[in-house]
Amino acid sequence: MPLQAYLTLAAVVFCLGLFGTVTRRNTVGILLGIELMLNAVNINFVAFSRFHGNDAGMIFTLFAICITVAEVALGLAIVILLFRTRKTATADHVDWLKG
Amino acid sequence: MTLEVIAFWTFAVLLVGAGLAVVIGRNLFHSVLWLALALVSTAGIFLTLDAEFIAAVQVLLYAGGVVTVVVFAIVVTERLVGERISQTSRHLAAGGIVAAGVLILLLRGITHAGIALPRPPLEGDLTRQLGTSLLTRYVLPFELLAVLLLVGLLAASYFARPEE
Amino acid sequence: MTMDPVTLVLVALLLPAASALVIGVMPPLRRAGRTAAWFSIACIAASLTSAILAWRAFHGDGAGEPIRAAWSWLPSAHGPFATVGVLVDSTSTTMLLLVTLVATLVQIYSTCYLSDEPSPALGRYYGLQSLFAFSMMGVVIAPNLLQLFICWELVGVCSCLLIGFWYRKPEAARAALKAFWTTKLGDVGLLIGIVLLQRATGTFDLVELRHLAEVQQIPLAGLSIITFCLYMGAAGKSAQFPLHVWLPDAMEGPTPVSALIHAATMVTAGVYLLVRTDWLFALTPNVLAIVCWNGAFTALLAATLACVQTDIKRVLAYSTVSQLGYMMAAIGAGFASCGFFHLLTHGVFKALLFLGAGAVIHAVGSNDVADMGGLAKKMPQTAIVFLIGTLSLAGIPLFAGYASKEAVLGSVWVGGFHIPFFLLLFSAFLTAFYMFRVVFLAFFGASDIGHRTSDIDRAAPGDSHDTAHHAHGHAHDPSHLHDAPLPMTGPLWVLGLIALGIGLYFTVRPPDHPEFEAVRWLSPAAIGMGLGGILLAYLTYQREAISADALASAFAPIRTAALHKFWLDDIYVGLYRHVLLAFSRAIGWIDRYLVDGVLNVISAWTLDGGDRLRRMQTGKVQDYVWAVGLGLLALMAWIGVTW
Repeated sequence: MPLQAYLTLAAVVFCLGLFGTVTRRNTVGILLGIELMLNAVNINFVAFSRFHGNDAGMIFTLFAICITVAEVALGLAIVILLFRTRKTATADHVDWLKG
Repeated sequence: MTLEVIAFWTFAVLLVGAGLAVVIGRNLFHSVLWLALALVSTAGIFLTLDAEFIAAVQVLLYAGGVVTVVVFAIVVTERLVGERISQTSRHLAAGGIVAAGVLILLLRGITHAGIALPRPPLEGDLTRQLGTSLLTRYVLPFELLAVLLLVGLLAASYFARPEE
Repeated sequence: MTMDPVTLVLVALLLPAASALVIGVMPPLRRAGRTAAWFSIACIAASLTSAILAWRAFHGDGAGEPIRAAWSWLPSAHGPFATVGVLVDSTSTTMLLLVTLVATLVQIYSTCYLSDEPSPALGRYYGLQSLFAFSMMGVVIAPNLLQLFICWELVGVCSCLLIGFWYRKPEAARAALKAFWTTKLGDVGLLIGIVLLQRATGTFDLVELRHLAEVQQIPLAGLSIITFCLYMGAAGKSAQFPLHVWLPDAMEGPTPVSALIHAATMVTAGVYLLVRTDWLFALTPNVLAIVCWNGAFTALLAATLACVQTDIKRVLAYSTVSQLGYMMAAIGAGFASCGFFHLLTHGVFKALLFLGAGAVIHAVGSNDVADMGGLAKKMPQTAIVFLIGTLSLAGIPLFAGYASKEAVLGSVWVGGFHIPFFLLLFSAFLTAFYMFRVVFLAFFGASDIGHRTSDIDRAAPGDSHDTAHHAHGHAHDPSHLHDAPLPMTGPLWVLGLIALGIGLYFTVRPPDHPEFEAVRWLSPAAIGMGLGGILLAYLTYQREAISADALASAFAPIRTAALHKFWLDDIYVGLYRHVLLAFSRAIGWIDRYLVDGVLNVISAWTLDGGDRLRRMQTGKVQDYVWAVGLGLLALMAWIGVTW
């Protein structure tokens, strides 16, 4: 498959993730959207890395996955804390930085 | 129709379909499961790109670890059923427009960029190559990553401490 | 004495300035009162000496060319824009003599007249006197119009401060401000005139301007406006109609101040300015005609007003206005030298009259003529010098005013202004009449102070009250009346003798005006008018052959109008209240509702806009992510995604 195919696939998944991040009400749902976006990026990295013959892209993918894991853990910790204090997991209710 | 093409298209369809289900699904728990499917499909994509190690890591960490954690989080925060996507048209329409716009521009960019590269032949063991680079050229980020994970661990356990 | 006249003039000018500065800067000296007085007197006396020496140095071998010494002050691309310095010529040295002489005598006189002032006030008085002397001399010797204007304004300020010396009294404060604002109205014109002249000719300097005028280099277009504006300034300071209203009220100040300012120096500044620039006015004969007519009219108006006054100082004030009208008429007729001559003689005998009136007020404790009577026996010296002054004012031969008044009348007739001439002639009659009315009422006649009923309503509005201070400690009983102490009578005698001396000199050696001699009937007519006035006054007030009441009722409508000062003050007040203040209110409304309104509307819109934009910050994370996505979209579209 040509490179464009992989890139196109990644673009589609990325935009799906973006849509999910913006529209989901539940905080965890937002995190799922973010996961999709990160996934799409990883596909991009690996595709380029393979087609350039340079392993830097794959290394970066490894790092990205690891960091994503850490980020998810922390994000969920925040969600739990939020739920504990404010009894809500709806993102729309978290508007105390309103101007 | 080579095997490669079939494999790619299968995984691609699975990925996109699962992604769609993730973002549109009403049941949060079902969304998580669809996400798991999406992640596994991604691993399949990696396989078509001859990146077996990455595929393995993907399955292990993402599909295994992240999904598990998310499930736990959902369990803790309840509200599984009845949660709907925001029905206010502002959110849906606006998000849809922005996402669609970005997609269109990206696709345009991809097709016009003229990056028609042929796939070079594999040279040697990719996994071995990755391992070597990781511990020679990229050893510093590697170590820092370890530190990061430690910090993340501490932070998460601090955040989620029991109330006193 | 072979000292350079410029140096002498500078010394004369700067000594009072130094005195004023020292008194102003050292409060202990000022509070010491009498010490400040003697210091100031020493400086002004030295200044007088220097002025005399300067006069002699300049006129030593026949009056030469004017000497101008100037130092550059405001720089500009083509040489100095403005200079400071002195202009020494015949007019300025002579005027300097008059100013320093009267200033010295007045300051000596004041030590006795104001003896019961508290010391700090006395110190302030002498500081102001020195400052005034300096500023008046500044006007006299100014070589350019800019320096003249600055000193002119300073003169105005000093006069305001001196008139309002007893500032705790509301009438005095009001009079001071009235003087200041009325002259300021004229000064606006003066400034406009000076600026326009500079724009037309490119220079402020008087010598250069005169040279330009002589070689016909001054553009005639618009010159009438310039000269009229200059005249406006002169009219303000020299109390010409309609800007004369400040002078009678200015009698609220101490009498020595009136002698200095309203006889010899400040009011003559306007006349002096016109004399200085007569070559400029000669180019605009229509403005000169206005000057002459207005001068004659002012003379008659003031003389009429003087006839109904009971306050001795007010009579003298209106008399000053009248005589200033004479001077202006002479200048308007084209004979500035005659006007200047009358200025000099008038300065001497009017100062004499004021100081004499001061002596009388000091003794009697009241300004009102009705409170006086038969003073000739009790105060013989004062009576004699006062009589010398009055005869000079009436224009009787052998006394100072005779030659100058004749010169003025002659110049007006020869200049072709016949109606103004008759106005002036009639004013001469009235002048003699009202002055001798005062003399007969105050110095002769029955000595019944306090019992005598005035032949005139006491309801003449606005009598001056510098008597308030002198009622203290002066009983109103006749036993207290005597001639004043030496510091007061000394200057009186000096001025009296000078007046007599000038009169004798010019009677024996009349000034050389062949064109006036041609008018044979002029001199007898003038003398006749003077004598006629004296006769009428004698018959009415001394002999009482003519009833004063009958005289009064014969001219009843004019009398009533005169008692109300021809309603001029009321017109001014009305203009102020209903025109100026109404205009201010309108402007205030525009400022508050339109100008401020625009700003307020803009600020309200800004705040409102800010409020609305604030709602963009919803606080919801997803909205921010959406915004980021939108930004990304915009960025990509802008780049065109044409990598």
